[in-house]
Amino acid sequence: MAKELVLVGLSHHTAPLELREKLAVDGDAREALLKRWSEGVAGEGVVISTCNRVELYATTDDTLSAEQRARALLEARLTDDERKSLEGSLYIHGGEAAIRHLFRVASSLDSMVVGEPQILGQVKEAFDAAKSAGTMGSLLGRCFSRSFAVAKRVRTETGIAEGTVSVSSIASQLAKKIFGELKGRKVLLLGAGEMGEAAAKSLANTGAVLRVVNRSPEKARKVAAECGGEPRGYEQLASEMVQADVVISSTSSDRFVLTTELMKDVLRGRRHRPIFLIDIAVPRDVDPRVGSMESVFLFDVDDLQEVAQENLAQRRQAALAAERIVDIEVAEIEAWRRTLDLTPTIVALRERFAEVVHGEIARSAKKMDLSDKDRKALERMGDAVVKKILHQPLAALKKSAGDPENAAMIAATRALFDLGKPSEYPPAPERAPGSGKLVPDES
Amino acid sequence: MATWVGGLFLGTAIAYTLAAALYLVSLVRGAEGKGRFAAPVLMAAATLHIAYLAVDTLAHTTPMQGIAQTLTFLSLGIVLAFLLARLRGKGIDILGAFLTPVALLFLMGAGVGRSVDAVSPDVRSALLPVHIGVNALGIIAFALAFGAATAYVIQERMLRRKKLGGIFQRLPPLDVLDNFGLRAVSLGFPLLTVGIVSGVFWVDPVESFDISPMHGFALAAWVLFAGVLLLRMAAGWRGRRAAIGTIMGFLCALGVLVGYVMRDTGVS
Repeated sequence: MAKELVLVGLSHHTAPLELREKLAVDGDAREALLKRWSEGVAGEGVVISTCNRVELYATTDDTLSAEQRARALLEARLTDDERKSLEGSLYIHGGEAAIRHLFRVASSLDSMVVGEPQILGQVKEAFDAAKSAGTMGSLLGRCFSRSFAVAKRVRTETGIAEGTVSVSSIASQLAKKIFGELKGRKVLLLGAGEMGEAAAKSLANTGAVLRVVNRSPEKARKVAAECGGEPRGYEQLASEMVQADVVISSTSSDRFVLTTELMKDVLRGRRHRPIFLIDIAVPRDVDPRVGSMESVFLFDVDDLQEVAQENLAQRRQAALAAERIVDIEVAEIEAWRRTLDLTPTIVALRERFAEVVHGEIARSAKKMDLSDKDRKALERMGDAVVKKILHQPLAALKKSAGDPENAAMIAATRALFDLGKPSEYPPAPERAPGSGKLVPDES
Repeated sequence: MATWVGGLFLGTAIAYTLAAALYLVSLVRGAEGKGRFAAPVLMAAATLHIAYLAVDTLAHTTPMQGIAQTLTFLSLGIVLAFLLARLRGKGIDILGAFLTPVALLFLMGAGVGRSVDAVSPDVRSALLPVHIGVNALGIIAFALAFGAATAYVIQERMLRRKKLGGIFQRLPPLDVLDNFGLRAVSLGFPLLTVGIVSGVFWVDPVESFDISPMHGFALAAWVLFAGVLLLRMAAGWRGRRAAIGTIMGFLCALGVLVGYVMRDTGVS
């Protein structure tokens, strides 16, 4: 009986951050955990650990005890109280469900932000860590490398990674769309406020120069210090506007701060250089009429949120297509897994028959003093006989692959022909170039 | 030889059509799918095109004489200039969606003009190749500028209407398009100037002051491009207005070529 796959883990869907961060393992800790897992059971093991999930994938002969062992390994890192909350947070999948879960994780379908790109790198990291810890074997190895391919397919064949979904990243994405490189561009933050500061920070992180204007000089200094910018006096607003490329406005003023009159002067000074105004204040800071002025691109909170919603909706749509890809890929790898039990038996059976035939021919050849040519002809005939005799039984065995009686048939075959116990898995089949189908490793 | 020429011409046209279609696919659907073959197909098309020009030159007249040859040269020039420009930055790759159709259009124009491509002997002069060559280089530069300007206008419009869907995501940043367009226009403008002056005073003295629609178009193109450059330097005009000026300028330049094709094929 080939080994079964088992997955024990928890994620942002099931466990709070406090629990996840307790269980997260990295570097040496991960290696230690893997080594402890494989001690004594000679099973394969991979640990995916990110801030959103900790998952142990393993192969085992005995699913039940493997689950218990995995749970014990995780519990060892927790206090008694935390162990209780672990109870409801763990999920356990076996076989096909475990593979499906892995494919969904790698394709970022299970992520907090569906379509985010980091997870694939983290799965690869887990793969490499298991390799260097020596707990990567042929079954998990194949499942994981297939998961990379599935993730790539999902990424290229669906729009799952398209469009950003947070206001501050949309703001900086739009800024990039207008100005290209943001390095050295001037960003002006008007007022304070969490969302405005977040957007300003994300722009400053791309290398833009940040300036902060506020009615209160202290506040300007404070916000500037927090976001890594320079404070400027309120009286410099107009001249700063002339220089700025991106203006983020989030004041608490109940009247328009950037009026059409002010903007007309500013635009004249700017000589038509485009300016990107982001108005995240409620009530609004920028007169909406400013948006129709030449070289002005104005986005308010609703605009940005609408973009976020659209992108999210698109991603959800893409996720549906992605699930179909995962379905297909799971079915393919399952078809391969079903032949795992079978292949070693078929190989052994053929070898056993060939051994007998070739042995007998060799003995007779010596007695009969046959020439090499005649002996070869005899061997060919012997091979043909073996092939014909084995054709029917092998066809029946293959046909039963995946059926419940398959295991019994394999066991019977092994007993009847004294084939012993199966050893390791056969090598994974390669994909035929271009066909997209698995090549059967037996034909 | 003639079948070779015809076959290569057809092959080139088909390859350009395919490349243009692939670029449009990558504009609408993203460069990861079939669109990623656009650039390789365009390179293959350019190779076919070079082969076609070589065989045609061997079999036919010298290049740069007659509108058909000029147009095929133009079309190849646009493609090569684009392929070269995209070496410097992958960001403008998608402009192929706008430039490849222009190259195809020119090639088709050449196909139409092929039937009659002898230049009447009374305007044949030593300066004719210079005149055609300079103008051709100018139009190549304007075609690149046109591609960038078209992308600019589309993108600016989408940004203003807050339609930030697929095509918007794939176009290069406005600033990149603006700079690329400006560079191409400042390169093309002096060439066009020399081209027009050489045409009026040395190549075509017989018709020089008889204002035909072609001359009108040439003049309009010159005025438009001069305006684009001048207003940018003097008043800082850029972005949408500059892009619209560039598009109109290129259309006028196109009008000149259409005029030549019509005259040489005897339509007018």
